[in-house]
Amino acid sequence: MESTMVLTEDEALELLAFLVTAARTQLDEAAEYGPLRLLTAAGRLADFMTGRASPATQQLLAGPLRALPDAALRSVDPAKYSAELDAACQAVGKHLVDHFGGGTR
Amino acid sequence: MSNAVLEAIRTRRMVRALTDAPVPREQVEQILEAARWAPSAGNRRLHRFVAILDPGTLRLLRMVSPGMFQRPRAVIAICIDGQRARSFGMSPTARGLYVDVGTAAQTMLLAAHSIGLGAGVVTSFSRAAVSVVLNLPAGFSPEMFICLGFPAARQPPAIRPRTPVTWQSLSHWERFP
Repeated sequence: MESTMVLTEDEALELLAFLVTAARTQLDEAAEYGPLRLLTAAGRLADFMTGRASPATQQLLAGPLRALPDAALRSVDPAKYSAELDAACQAVGKHLVDHFGGGTR
Repeated sequence: MSNAVLEAIRTRRMVRALTDAPVPREQVEQILEAARWAPSAGNRRLHRFVAILDPGTLRLLRMVSPGMFQRPRAVIAICIDGQRARSFGMSPTARGLYVDVGTAAQTMLLAAHSIGLGAGVVTSFSRAAVSVVLNLPAGFSPEMFICLGFPAARQPPAIRPRTPVTWQSLSHWERFP
């Protein structure tokens, strides 16, 4: 990882605070908020990465990951929700293979 | 015949995308003044409102509020004053206290809408962390944020209900068979 990709302390603290407090709020909230919070955390991380990542990674951040609505919930349309998440995961997987080189390490 | 109150109720939305423009303190005061008139069980007034305009504090609140999608320019925290509730012989977790959080919140949402502000509620936050960030007195419990700002031109899609909602689908007449 290049040094330009390291989060600043402020950014890392923001993400850390989100993750810790989300663990607590999840105890009282609907189970379907679990994936929602994870995706929000991913979105905040993506915000920090934008502008520092490689062009290909920036394409991933701006494309398939941004396509997921901020406040989407599984219960509204479970099949569509799963399909959208699968599409995002496929895009992430493809990018990982392109970035790291599939089967070569 | 037009009815301004009903029209405000019908057109209010949860606003999640806000501009960077600051919210004038006078407008926040208008919303707090409206909340002063919200129904309160027994007129006991067991709630306290904390208005936050400072960008630094707003940033910290967002960090400990997983449900805060928006970047508000002002927040009003609705708190239950547990010690005051006890002084009336009530448990600080009595249901009625939460009902009054709701009446205050809806009053504020409508007031904000009526003066051109966008508003949204957030309840997904760490009460423990928020209490520290706001230095709340002992016994105060933060229960809801009213997030305020000027609405951005583009809003994220609304959360759609599983089935279409009408007043008939939510209501029954008289008693159940």
